[in-house]
Amino acid sequence: MFDIALLLPLIPALPLAAAIIIGALGPWLLRNRSHLPAVAAIGLSCALSLLLLWSVHRETTASAGQYSPWATHTAGDAAGRYPKSPPRDRPNAAGTVGFERIVCLWTWAVVDRAGVARAGLPAGDVPPDEPAAFAPDSATDSAMARPAFSIQIALRADPLTAVMLATVTLVSLVVAVYSIGYMHGDPGYWRFFAYISLFVFSMTMLVSASNFILLYVFWEAVGLCSYLLIGFWYQKPEAAAAGKKAFIVNRVGDFGFALGVFLLWTTYGTLDFHDGVLPGILGQARLSGAVPFVGGATATAICLLLMLGACGKSAQFPLHVWLPDAMEGPTPVSALIHAATMVTAGVYMVARCTPLYLASAEAQQVVAVIGGATALMAAMIAITQTDLKRILAYSTISQLGYMFLALGAGTLVGVTAGMFHLFTHAFFKALLFLGAGSVMHAMGGVIDIRRFGGLRHVMPITHWTFLVGCLGLAGVFPLAGFWSKDPILAALHERAATGSAGSLYSGLYLAGMLGAALTAFYTFRAFFATFYGPLRTPPEAGHHAHESPPSMTGPLLVLAVATAVVGAAFGPTHLFDRFLADTPSLAYANRLAEHAAVAAVGNAAPASLATPAVPAAHAAHDAHTVIALLSQAVVLAGIALAALVYLGRVIEAERLAAVLDRAKLYTLSYRKMFWDEIYQALIVWPTWIAAKLSADFDRLAIDKLVDLCGWLPKLLGSALRPLQNGLVQYYALAMVVGLLLLLGTLLW
Amino acid sequence: MHYELALLHNYLIVGAMLFCIGLVGFISRRNMIVMFLSAEMMLQGVSLSLVAFSRTHNDFGGQILVVFIIAVAACEAAVALALVQVLFARRKSLDITLWHQLREADQPPFQDQPLAEPLPEKPQWPRLPPAGVQPVPPTEITDYRPDV
Repeated sequence: MFDIALLLPLIPALPLAAAIIIGALGPWLLRNRSHLPAVAAIGLSCALSLLLLWSVHRETTASAGQYSPWATHTAGDAAGRYPKSPPRDRPNAAGTVGFERIVCLWTWAVVDRAGVARAGLPAGDVPPDEPAAFAPDSATDSAMARPAFSIQIALRADPLTAVMLATVTLVSLVVAVYSIGYMHGDPGYWRFFAYISLFVFSMTMLVSASNFILLYVFWEAVGLCSYLLIGFWYQKPEAAAAGKKAFIVNRVGDFGFALGVFLLWTTYGTLDFHDGVLPGILGQARLSGAVPFVGGATATAICLLLMLGACGKSAQFPLHVWLPDAMEGPTPVSALIHAATMVTAGVYMVARCTPLYLASAEAQQVVAVIGGATALMAAMIAITQTDLKRILAYSTISQLGYMFLALGAGTLVGVTAGMFHLFTHAFFKALLFLGAGSVMHAMGGVIDIRRFGGLRHVMPITHWTFLVGCLGLAGVFPLAGFWSKDPILAALHERAATGSAGSLYSGLYLAGMLGAALTAFYTFRAFFATFYGPLRTPPEAGHHAHESPPSMTGPLLVLAVATAVVGAAFGPTHLFDRFLADTPSLAYANRLAEHAAVAAVGNAAPASLATPAVPAAHAAHDAHTVIALLSQAVVLAGIALAALVYLGRVIEAERLAAVLDRAKLYTLSYRKMFWDEIYQALIVWPTWIAAKLSADFDRLAIDKLVDLCGWLPKLLGSALRPLQNGLVQYYALAMVVGLLLLLGTLLW
Repeated sequence: MHYELALLHNYLIVGAMLFCIGLVGFISRRNMIVMFLSAEMMLQGVSLSLVAFSRTHNDFGGQILVVFIIAVAACEAAVALALVQVLFARRKSLDITLWHQLREADQPPFQDQPLAEPLPEKPQWPRLPPAGVQPVPPTEITDYRPDV
C-alpha cells in the first residue's frame, strides 16, 4: 500500500514544509495559530514513521519467517536505487546482512576522480551489480582508477532508522502539543514552532541519512536548531550565553567528527553507508565479508574521532558542560532536544558505526570508559543540584553515559541494550522534563526545588505522572527504565566474563551499578522535595498555584502510559532486540561474534560462550536474573535513602552533607566537579589572554602602521596645500609653471 | 618657400607675443574685466598661430577652427561679462581677490597687503642752468603744439 520509497522522504519533508510555512506566514498571518502547521506536519510524520516501522518490520519478518540472527533475505529486499538508473533488485545469492532499503533522491554534487587511485574500481561508471565485483583481486578491474566524490541525497530504511524515526517523531508530536499550552502567549510563539519543525526535519534526516556527508550536514543542522532554541529568549543574557556555550562546545566535537569523516574518505574512498561504485563503508559488500574493513591504528583513529563528535553532541565526559546550561531554553526544548532526541544522535551514530568499532577493541574500551565515567560523574553531580531542570539535565548526561557504556561493550546485546535504553529514555526523560515544565509553569517560572514543596495536592496529574517518570528513570521493576538498564548491566557483566579486558568491564559494571543507586537517589530527592512535605510556593506563583491546562497534562499522561508500557512491551518479549538485530550493522556484529565463537570452540554450540544475541540471551537469562535482582536492590536502597532524608526527614540532609563534605565530596558535587572552573582556567582564560594580546598588538602595532600610511600623504598634502588659496590667478600661475615644466622637459 | 616660412615665423612670433602678454596680464591684473580681456588676448594669439599654420599648409581646417573660436569667444564674452556683472553686484568691486571661497579649509584668506608708504617727496632744489646764466623762470605754455 505504502511504498517505503514514498514514506521515507515524506517523513522529513512534512516538518520542513511546516517550518517554511510558519517561517513565512507566522509573523503576520498565523500568529497564535502557528502551532497548527507544526502539529499537523509532525503528527503526519509520526503516523508515517509508525507506518514505516510497520513496513520494515513486515519486510524483515516476511522473508526470514522467523527471527534469525544473521537473517538471509530473499531477492528484492534490499533493492538499492542509484541515480540515473531504474530501480532494480540486487540478486542476493550471497545473502544480504540484515535488511536495508536505500532511497536515493538525487545526486547533489559529483567531483570526478577526487579520491586516491585504488584498485577494484570498475572501468566504466556503471555501478556493479554484484558485490563480488568489488573484490580487489578480480581480473576484470585490475586497472587502478580514482573514485569520484559524489554526495547523494540518499535515505535509508532499516530497523535502526525506523526505530529512531518513530521515537523522534512520537516524542516531537507529544512535545509540540505540550508546547501549545506551555508557550501560549509568548511573543516568539511562531518562531518557536518554526524552529521545532525545522528541528524535526533535521533530526529525521539525520537518522535516515545514508552517507556521512548528509549525516554531518544534519548533525550540524540539529546543532543549529539546538542553538536557536536554547537562545530562544535571546534577550535574557543567561540564555544567550548558554546558546553560545552549547554551540562552541559542540564545535569542538564536530571538529573531531569532521576529521573522522575525512579519515573515512581517505581510508575507504567513499562516504556512503551503502554500496555504490565502491563498496560502502557499512554496505553489504563489507558486511558480508566480501571486502574487509580497515583495521589497526586507522580504525582506532576513525572511531576515536567519531566518538569525539558523539561526545560533543551527546554531552559526554569531556564535553558535557554545555547540556546543563542548555536548560536556559524553554522546557519543551529541554525535553525534546536536550533529553529525548538530539543528544541521542551521538548514540545513534556510534550504534550505526558498530562495524567500525568492532574493528578496534581500543576504541570500544574508550567508548565504554567515557560512558561509564560520564554516567557516574553526572549522577554524582545531580545529587546536590537544586535546580530541578539541571538535575534532570545531569540525569540525561548520566543516562547517555549508560548508552555509551552499553555500546562500548561491543556486543550485539550491548548495542541493542543501548538503543533500547535510548528508546525508553526518550519517553521517561521527556515525561520528567515536561513534568518539570508543568511545575515551573505553575510556580511562575521558579525551578529551584528549595523554594517550593508539597505540590502533590495542587498538581495531582503532574505529581502522578512525575512519579511514573521517576520510577522509570530509577529503573524500578515493571517500568521502562528497568527493562532497558538491566540489559546494559547484563551486557557489561557478560562482556567482563567472556571478552578481553575483563577487569576493565567489571569495573564499569560496578560503576553502572553504583550509578543506578545514585540515579534512584537523586531522582527521588527531586521528587520528594517537589511534591511532598508542607505546601510551599514562591511569591512568583501568585496566590493559588494550579494544575496546568489539558494541552500540557494530556502529553504528560500519554508519556506516562508510554513509560509504563514500552519497557514491559518490548523488553522481556525481545521484540525490540530481534527487530533491531536485522539492522545491517548489528546483524554484522552478530555474525562476527558467531564466527568468533565458532573459531574459539571449533564446531561446538555457539551459544555457550559467545556474545551473541537473543537465543543466547535467553540461555543466559538465569544469570541475568541475579543482576536484575541486584540492581533492584540497589535502586530500592537509593529510593529508600532519599525517602529517609527528604520524605521522612529521619536523616538531616544538612548533616549528611556535612559528613560527605569531610572528604570534600559535597562541595565537589555541588560545584559540578569544578568542570566549569577547569574549562575557565584551561581554555577560557588562555583564550582571553591571547585575544587580549592580539587586540593590543593590533591596536598598538598594526593600527599604528596603518595610521602611518595614512599620515604620510597627509604630510605631503600639507606641503602643497597653501597652493589652494582660492585665488584664480594662483591656479593660473600653477598651470603656467606646469606648462613650462612640461615644455622644458620636452625640449630639453 | 623660404618666404612662406619667414612669413609664418613672423605670424607665430606675433601670436606668441599676444599669448604671453595675455598670460602676464591674466596673472598680474586683479580687475576681472581686464583679466577677461587678457584671456581673450591669449585666445587670439593662439588663433593667429592657427590661421598662420593653416595658410602655410594650405589646409583650411585651421581657419575653420578659428571661425569657430571667434564664435565661441563671442558667446564666452557674453557669459563672462554677465558673470562679472553679477559678481560686481555682490561685492561692488571688480577685484578678483575678493573671491577666494574655494580655498582649502585650513588656509588663511587672502589679505591685501597694505600699500607701501609713499616715498617722501624729494625736496625741490632749484635747478641750475648750465653754468653762469641767470635762471629764467619757466614761462607758461599757453597753446600746446605738438610739432614744437
